[in-house]
Amino acid sequence: MTLSIILLCILAALLELDTTYVGQLSFSRPIIAGPLFGLITGDLMAGIQVGVFTELLFADISPLGGIIPPSGVMCAAIPMILYSLGIELYFGFFLGVLAGIAYGQLDKWMRKARFKWMVFLEKNAAARPGDFSRTVIMLILSAFLLNLIFISVCAWICTQLMYNIVAYIPLKTYVAFKFAYMAVPWIGLATLIPAFRLKTR
Amino acid sequence: MNLSMHIRLFLRSFFLQTGWNFVKYQNVGLTFIMLPFLRKLYKQDKEALPAVMSRYLDNFNTQPVMASFCIGALAKKEEAIAQAQSVTDFKEKVAEWTSARRGLSITAASIGDRLFWGTLKPLTLLLAIFIWLCLGVNFFEIELLTNPLVFDALCAGAVAFFVYNSVALFVKWQGISIAYNSDEKTCFGLTKFDWNKTIYYAKHIGLILAAGLILFGVYHYFKNIEFNLYFITRAVLVLFFVMISFLTRKLKVPNMYLYIAAVIIFNLACYL
Repeated sequence: MTLSIILLCILAALLELDTTYVGQLSFSRPIIAGPLFGLITGDLMAGIQVGVFTELLFADISPLGGIIPPSGVMCAAIPMILYSLGIELYFGFFLGVLAGIAYGQLDKWMRKARFKWMVFLEKNAAARPGDFSRTVIMLILSAFLLNLIFISVCAWICTQLMYNIVAYIPLKTYVAFKFAYMAVPWIGLATLIPAFRLKTR
Repeated sequence: MNLSMHIRLFLRSFFLQTGWNFVKYQNVGLTFIMLPFLRKLYKQDKEALPAVMSRYLDNFNTQPVMASFCIGALAKKEEAIAQAQSVTDFKEKVAEWTSARRGLSITAASIGDRLFWGTLKPLTLLLAIFIWLCLGVNFFEIELLTNPLVFDALCAGAVAFFVYNSVALFVKWQGISIAYNSDEKTCFGLTKFDWNKTIYYAKHIGLILAAGLILFGVYHYFKNIEFNLYFITRAVLVLFFVMISFLTRKLKVPNMYLYIAAVIIFNLACYL
């Protein structure tokens, strides 16, 4: 179980790179990442459900200009980790959404902070153009490490939180979270369908 | 530009957003992509390379797939700069290069955002949902009873992946050579494609898929209809959230906040 969680964290950190830093080949889309997480934990159906729900929930936010959407990979990974430990998906999904939003904020901070390195980078590029590729590799590695640390810390916090409170959660809270989770695909579909309005011609 | 350089620019274009920052955006990525081309171009004048790189390290931001047009156009313009005969000529060519970079990045981003983020991404999502439902993978049911076959589980995502990337990689590959072999008259090859028509047809396919999905949903929920409390609660819930979603869309409230609000409201409703 622990091995599959570690593998899932590494895979999530790698897939998250695809969102911005390397590729943009859509490996990081929750409908692709979710089933892959499901393959690791052995819960394919849960992986598909979390993947589709996550993508539908975040379908209305695109990375236009400087907008940084919440992380779909983090949002899909957290519920899958918790589900593999026996926590209901609807609690995991809520924590996953919070983790996705938190990652978006962290990424925003990283992009702001990165500019400070730019001054150094530009000087370095002017002096030694040959080192530029090395700098790019360092940027990718640092982004991967940050992703890995973030998903590992989030997974640990969420697991500890749920283990400590799950016994005290009243039945009414289960029902409330379940109903809210049930509403997610409909919230997503209601905003997805107007995206195909024919107003371009 | 020979095939080897085309391949190198294409492969490096996947790193456009490495080093994305809020002040100069994709400047690091653009410089990294163009580096082999610049090295080859300024092979005889290595001292010029740092000054050339500093031009590329200025701010640059566009849609990652459509950036290929900018890469091709900038390569073409850079060749003209390298062949400048006088200081005045050099300054003119640099000014042309700068205006091409600015103008093309904005135009390409505008098309790319509409085509890839606004149309192709939601379209492939609907396609994946449709394939999963057709294969009997019903993820709308909250109680997960059985796992589907690995093929069924992965094929819808794989189809979405291939459809999206076949368009994206085609545009990425072709964009470099088309822009390199074009000029300002054709907006560096951007006018060679009828983008509006492509988006129009893609949206048509999206509408058909969306209508199919709604019909499938209606059939699924009404085939074994039982008007019990569970069915009515669920129907009311669905209708309520569909209506609220339309409202929040107009108010530009993201879906994720609607979901968080739903969690809070349902908790309050359960305890009151």
